[in-house]
Amino acid sequence: MWHVGSTNDSMHVELKKVNAGYYTIEGFKSIRRKYVQVLNEVSLRIRDGERVAIIGESGSGKTTLLKVMLGLLQPVSGEVWVLGQNIYNMPKRDRWRITHKIGYVPQDPFRSLNPRLKVVDIVMEPLERSKFSEKERVERVSEAFKMVQLHESVLNYYPSQLSGGMMQRVLIARSIVHDPEMILLDEPTSALDVSTQAQIISLLNSIQERLDCTMITVTHDLPVAQYLADRVVILHKGSIVEEGGFEEVIRDPKSEHARHIILSYTLSVNSTNLL
Amino acid sequence: MVLAVASKGLSVGYEEVDGVLWAVRDVSIEVKAGETFCLAGESGSGKSTIAGAIAGILPPHTVTKGELYINGRTVIRDETRDYEGIRGRVVTYVPQSPGASLNPYMTIEEQFYSVLKSLYGLNKRESKERAKVYLQMVELDPDSVLDDYPHELSGGMQQRAAIALALSTGARILVADEPTSALDAHLRLQIVEELSRLRRETGVTLVFISHDLLLAGAICDRMAVMYAGVVAEVGGARAILEKPLHPYTLMLVESTPRLDRRKQLKPFLGEPPKPGELTNGCPFFNRCPSRLTVCAVKMPPLMSIGGERHVACWLYE
Repeated sequence: MWHVGSTNDSMHVELKKVNAGYYTIEGFKSIRRKYVQVLNEVSLRIRDGERVAIIGESGSGKTTLLKVMLGLLQPVSGEVWVLGQNIYNMPKRDRWRITHKIGYVPQDPFRSLNPRLKVVDIVMEPLERSKFSEKERVERVSEAFKMVQLHESVLNYYPSQLSGGMMQRVLIARSIVHDPEMILLDEPTSALDVSTQAQIISLLNSIQERLDCTMITVTHDLPVAQYLADRVVILHKGSIVEEGGFEEVIRDPKSEHARHIILSYTLSVNSTNLL
Repeated sequence: MVLAVASKGLSVGYEEVDGVLWAVRDVSIEVKAGETFCLAGESGSGKSTIAGAIAGILPPHTVTKGELYINGRTVIRDETRDYEGIRGRVVTYVPQSPGASLNPYMTIEEQFYSVLKSLYGLNKRESKERAKVYLQMVELDPDSVLDDYPHELSGGMQQRAAIALALSTGARILVADEPTSALDAHLRLQIVEELSRLRRETGVTLVFISHDLLLAGAICDRMAVMYAGVVAEVGGARAILEKPLHPYTLMLVESTPRLDRRKQLKPFLGEPPKPGELTNGCPFFNRCPSRLTVCAVKMPPLMSIGGERHVACWLYE
């Protein structure tokens, strides 16, 4: 029986000693599968309504961690509790009942929208398995569009007719159309220009406030994380090396790697004392 | 004073089915020999098109107007473009994504040989010797790197190899097109430090293209902020960031995230006009909070504010 609630219901996400990775193929004459471990003994607790940023360099395991939370990558060991359920301890066909309550905004808006679908169909997709009538679905799409400040005429566009900022807004509308309890964002602003980036940051914060949901952001950009999170988790080579309040970690980093990340950013832009 | 790069009323466009789309319009800039000059702006501002014009790598369907001089020699005069003896020898180019620009089928040694043989007719032994000098200059170990293929190097090492390859040509003007945008913060720091050190040690002129204003402020002496194909503001990099004059620069600075919560992020709405949507007025008109009536109908010229500071805005007439 999979329906076993978490011991602590105020936790939206709880990872217990999670080890996860991928199989790759190596060799030329004789091909063999090789397991590459990405996450090592990751334990993490995220409370209901928290704004958390997961920070790390390329290859540190940030996106893999999101995939594990989304029910897309089964860990080799450890437990993953999402919204009170141990999601990898239930039949795969039932997992969507939990993961459906998560909104997900993928990394690259330019490659994340189906080019053959109109925006209206893209945004409505998460409602396919819902009990809403056609009229209610249209109303929900319209409401999501209002929240991301897009004009309704955009609903009839194809992705190729949109700018980068509009694509990102469509992806955000798609992630909130079903009233998720939690939103996961994978580098939500890394492909955008500065002015569009500021618009999206402000938009995400207003949506989080309005929906009162948990927001988990993966980013390598420390200043962006500052605006999207109150708590920060620093990942290095698949392990959590530090976590805590944003101000506290910036002011007094405990781990060598956190110090390194903060120093790298500060030095690269601070020679004019602009920080 | 020797100018490494000078443009006078330079416009660059791309031939499309419906006519020419002008990506750069009437740009006049001057880059002094030995300085680091930044072209900063968002996507579509025309900064990479100017970089391509300076480096001599504009695609064949490009249309040009105005003039461009490299070390005093005319390379663009209206429709005529002549980079003979300039491209690769006087000006060289460091691309945005080293992983995509280094040839994946060649070792680093072969890449140096390919460039140096075609430019100077060097043989394999000579090109290897020169490669070693420049790889050491960017703090890569030639013994371990020369036999490697690009995929065997990390992102930061690939970018260093691309810089070494560009410098090995002996060119005195280096055009670096967003050389750090694909890198993490710590690699970005390494590459920025590397470029600053190389500039000090070798005295090359560095034309740095970036959308990151803070990074540009950290590395550059002077900066031109571009918007929708025109120059909005030119001046000392630090002065521009500390006291932006053009409303666009001001909004850009205020909407850049910084590690300081006291400075609230001020997003500004709208998007830049596309090349086909440009009018005779200021391209920033629709988004500008300080717009005047004249802005809608007449493009402001780049006006001197004193010293080396210039701004294209009717507020400063």
